[in-house]
Amino acid sequence: MASMVANGNRDGRQGEALVLKGVDPETCMIVFKNHWAQVVKILEKHDPLRSNTSSNMAALGVIGLSSGGPMRFGGPIPGDEASAVQNYVEHILFLLMEEDAGQAGAMGPILEFVVMENVMERLFLWSLRRQFTDDMKLEQLKMYEMIVGQARQPLLHHKPVLRPLMMLLSSCSGTAGPEVEAELVSLLNQLCCVLAKDQSVLELFFHTSEDQGAANFLIFSLLIPFIHREGLVGQQARDALLLIMSLSAENQRVAQHIAENTYFCPVLATGLSGLYSSLPTKLEVPGEEWHCLHREDWLQMPTLVQFLNSLEFCNAVIQVAHPNIRDQLVSYIYNGFLVPVLAPALHKPTLEEVMTTTAYLDLFVRSVSEPVLLQTFLSFILLHRHENVHILDTLVSRINTPFQLGTVSLALFQTLIGLYCEDVMLQLILRYLIPCNHMMLSQRRVVKERDFYSVSAAKILALTPSCCSPEHSPPPLRQLDSILWSKGTDNSPNTGTMETEETFLEEDGSGYSCVIGSEIYLDVNYLHYLYNARLGISSCTRACQVWSAPYDGEDPPPEESHPHPRPRPPCPPQTTDPAPTNQLELEWDDSYDAGPVVSPEAATAESSKPPQLPAAEPPKHIQEMRRTAIMLVKGSYIEESDFQDDVMVYDLVAKKDARDTVTKGSKEVKAHVADHNSNLQSPLAEVGDDLMGQYEELIRTLGSDEAGTGGSSPVKTVDKEFRNPVVTPMEEDEVDFSSFSMDTPELEKQHSSLFGTKLCSGSTRSHSVPFTGPFVSVLLSRLENMLDNSLHVNLLLTGILAQLAAYPQPLLQSFLLNTNMVFQPSVRSLYQVLASLKNQIEQQASTKKDFPKLITSAQHCLLARESSLKGQDSRECSPLEAGRMMKSSPPPQPKTISLARTEVFATVLFTEFLKELAAIAQEHSILSHVPMEE
Amino acid sequence: MNLNPFWSMSTNTGRKRSDGEEQSGEQQQQRASPARPSFGKKQLPSIPKNAVPITKPASPAATAQLANGTHASYGPFYLEYSLLAEFTLVIKQKLPGIYVQPSYKSALMWFGVIFIRHGLYQDGVFKFTVYIPDNYPDGECPRVVFDIPVFHPLVDPVSGELDVRRAFTKWRRNHNHIWQVLMYARTVFYKINTMEPLNPEAAVLYDKDVQLFKSKVIDSVKLCNSHLFDQPKMDDPYAISFSSWNPAIHDEAKERMFSHKRRPEDHHKGLQVSGLSWVKPGSTQPFSKDDNPPLS
Repeated sequence: MASMVANGNRDGRQGEALVLKGVDPETCMIVFKNHWAQVVKILEKHDPLRSNTSSNMAALGVIGLSSGGPMRFGGPIPGDEASAVQNYVEHILFLLMEEDAGQAGAMGPILEFVVMENVMERLFLWSLRRQFTDDMKLEQLKMYEMIVGQARQPLLHHKPVLRPLMMLLSSCSGTAGPEVEAELVSLLNQLCCVLAKDQSVLELFFHTSEDQGAANFLIFSLLIPFIHREGLVGQQARDALLLIMSLSAENQRVAQHIAENTYFCPVLATGLSGLYSSLPTKLEVPGEEWHCLHREDWLQMPTLVQFLNSLEFCNAVIQVAHPNIRDQLVSYIYNGFLVPVLAPALHKPTLEEVMTTTAYLDLFVRSVSEPVLLQTFLSFILLHRHENVHILDTLVSRINTPFQLGTVSLALFQTLIGLYCEDVMLQLILRYLIPCNHMMLSQRRVVKERDFYSVSAAKILALTPSCCSPEHSPPPLRQLDSILWSKGTDNSPNTGTMETEETFLEEDGSGYSCVIGSEIYLDVNYLHYLYNARLGISSCTRACQVWSAPYDGEDPPPEESHPHPRPRPPCPPQTTDPAPTNQLELEWDDSYDAGPVVSPEAATAESSKPPQLPAAEPPKHIQEMRRTAIMLVKGSYIEESDFQDDVMVYDLVAKKDARDTVTKGSKEVKAHVADHNSNLQSPLAEVGDDLMGQYEELIRTLGSDEAGTGGSSPVKTVDKEFRNPVVTPMEEDEVDFSSFSMDTPELEKQHSSLFGTKLCSGSTRSHSVPFTGPFVSVLLSRLENMLDNSLHVNLLLTGILAQLAAYPQPLLQSFLLNTNMVFQPSVRSLYQVLASLKNQIEQQASTKKDFPKLITSAQHCLLARESSLKGQDSRECSPLEAGRMMKSSPPPQPKTISLARTEVFATVLFTEFLKELAAIAQEHSILSHVPMEE
Repeated sequence: MNLNPFWSMSTNTGRKRSDGEEQSGEQQQQRASPARPSFGKKQLPSIPKNAVPITKPASPAATAQLANGTHASYGPFYLEYSLLAEFTLVIKQKLPGIYVQPSYKSALMWFGVIFIRHGLYQDGVFKFTVYIPDNYPDGECPRVVFDIPVFHPLVDPVSGELDVRRAFTKWRRNHNHIWQVLMYARTVFYKINTMEPLNPEAAVLYDKDVQLFKSKVIDSVKLCNSHLFDQPKMDDPYAISFSSWNPAIHDEAKERMFSHKRRPEDHHKGLQVSGLSWVKPGSTQPFSKDDNPPLS
């Protein structure tokens, strides 16, 4: 029968419908009754209680169900009888479906008969009486799917139809084969469609459920297990659930039921965790250039696709569901997925794992569109603390990692900045700028001033390295697109009143005028930057209209705001304000109180003598990190020496200001490291995951060692610190915050930072040491290292900075673009870094004879790269970047140049970046000052 | 950038023929997306219709002298943007009765018209042109020349030039702005100054025989107004021209102008805002808004 019905759905039924057309209802009724009589005959023959024909059926059904097993009375039913019933049933169902409703919505006669005679229930019992196998369920499900979907009058309003359906559904829950599941979900989906169209049925579904004892919403509960299912079944289930969700938005009862009586939200959220756990923990990265998961990347990963489907579903639910459900779901996602799963994953022991998680996080943030859900992710990133460190701080610190993790982290921040989210910008940068103590007091009034004459743009462009100046580059490349302004010849006729007109206006042959002087080469490339700047600034300005304040140096007022306390809400209270220029200030001081162990005195004591080891075990991830690190080093995961050099160089370049000291220090450290490495395997080998942090740790240890710890071996100290959980949060933070604009010798500083914190915990850093925040610092320090960065790192870096520069907030604008601002001596500005880069470049250019040639090759290479990217619609080819790359007619065959010549590519990119920034500055000078009216 | 009411108003009121408008729109567009022959293969993405064209640089002098000590190539850009900045500043000032608009051909030349609503010159409608020196802002102050020499002590009876220099003896960048010049051009019609006149006759009359002066002024105003509908002196698509009221053209424009004021709010509602903020006004804490869903 199953197959018959299934076929009947399509072909058979249509044939039947044709036959029925024009047949009068009375005839149909007679046929129906005849068929039913035949069925009843067979049914009763096998009915153990044949005397009670219909009245007790319901009771029987319940008994049958609750006893759980198939009911067989009077022995097996002969096959011919079963198939006879099947045939009749098919016919009567067609008749039922084809019947039109009576007048004024009354039941048609056939339906009335079905209801009176309890036809559906008896048929259900019949299938129970036989082996209630999957086949039988399938058959019943299909039967209902057919009549529910195709009947011309509402059927579900009638209990005798609804109740057997509900019994069938509940009997299908739990264990069933895939076929039954598919059919079940399909039927449920159909029922939801009916519900969505006709809410009056909803009440009945609830009531019917109550009949069965538990007040539940069966359709809904049955769908939940399929939420995360892949393929069509999952999709259908999610669609159906979404229908119910939007129902819940208007129906308080549904909303309440779902929120209070079902596991919908927890299942959904923890399902994310489950799916997440099946994602690869390490991605196979296609190349060094790779920095984020593009669509074509994740489409290759079924598990990731599945995760994203579920995430998208959460997004959709949050979009349509009742606020109660929405809030509950968001809370479960936060507490059931982000905090317990994603946070630890972001702290996995190896670089690759952490990088992978970061890439996932970036993808998730990009995939989520519903503000409430986005807020959940952002608040996790901005405010959650994992083992006492803010996720944000950890992520920021990783930008400084000289491996792919750094690149991927940059990409994540590019995503975050691109959200135009006030909260993000506040945490990342603005809160450090609000107090205005990064500038001289007298400069506060300058914040809002506008740059009338493009002075800043001019100063920025003046940094163009001589080897790249437009005048110097060979014509084909340089002015690929140069405009030759034609020479003035004679007067235009209408300028009689003017005195200076000879060279003033001119119509050229094509009827367009241009301004004339002598020949001017205009860098037309620059027009693109202006155009992109205009687009970027206007869309950013428009987006920022929803912000709470203009951030113009007056609102929020500089006096009252301290970047100090972080908001506590969803997370446990904390303190770690990542910020200090001065390590002395690193505020894990408060966390001392909250956290375990170590009184300030004890901490201070540590510096002078080897202390008692704290009893606490090191945090798990440190332990693991240790293990992996050992493994990594042993397995020569990286050449030890390379690694050290990298880290050293990396870290040290960032500390230009203190170069001498540092170099000296680094030598010492290197010596130590070499020494240790030759002797030991373990504690020092732990330079695994958070390389930088650990390295700092190491340096610090050595520092304190030198400072006279005397007897204790450095190794021991390291070991000790690893076991001290309080130290843990510091590790990563220190990487970044240590490096900028300092005058204190490195080691000394490290030293004092470790032990001196508590001593100055009372002072508010915001008033003592000007600081523009770790994010800006890290970006600038990476930028300063531009000549050694790979091309794509530089593309990301300059992209992010340009994105920041396009923000209209005067605080940000003045900090990044106003070259006239006078900052506090300890504050490094973008302009300073650019100037230092120019010097580096000029130096390179003067020492390398072939530099100009290399530059030309690199330009060609980049042009080629750009045209190859043009076709793709990938994120990599953002408009900004497209603008940054130079445009041209097909380049004359590029001589090949190795991408390893980073300094050459960086030089080209630097020049383009200057133009980009200058263009942004120029557009700001007009755009930001026009009242937005459109 | 939206081109403010000033711009559109003056353009709309100034249209002579209905096809004039189309024509200018067309030209504006051509100009906005500078796919000019001289650009070679270069094509700028088209700029939104209303955008101020950015490609119409400027100064011959920029080549010769590098005002900011930078590459000559960028000189025109700096000048262009300086003038754009000045123009946006003019818009911001909302000077009463004064409308200006840069010419199509050069950002250094602005067309203007001034409506005098009170005083001796009441009902006067004077068209003028502002000439900005090409070494702006480091040169002399801009010049203001009336299309028809108004009878006024400070207006040259032959050239129509207003004596602006007396008010801006030295043009100081950052302190002096073009809107001040325009403001000054308006003030002279309300507060008459006869010191060192360019038109001694007017000065003497004003001091000696105000009645005669007044009648001369009335004649002058009449003369100016009688030429109001003349073709603009300058053949420039953005030159300001007047035409008599034609409901077919002007009613709609008027309607738009009046509805424009109400638009901003309506506009905000419909517009999908892409930015995000959960910061409570007055707070500097992220996610401080009250309606944030609780996360734990």
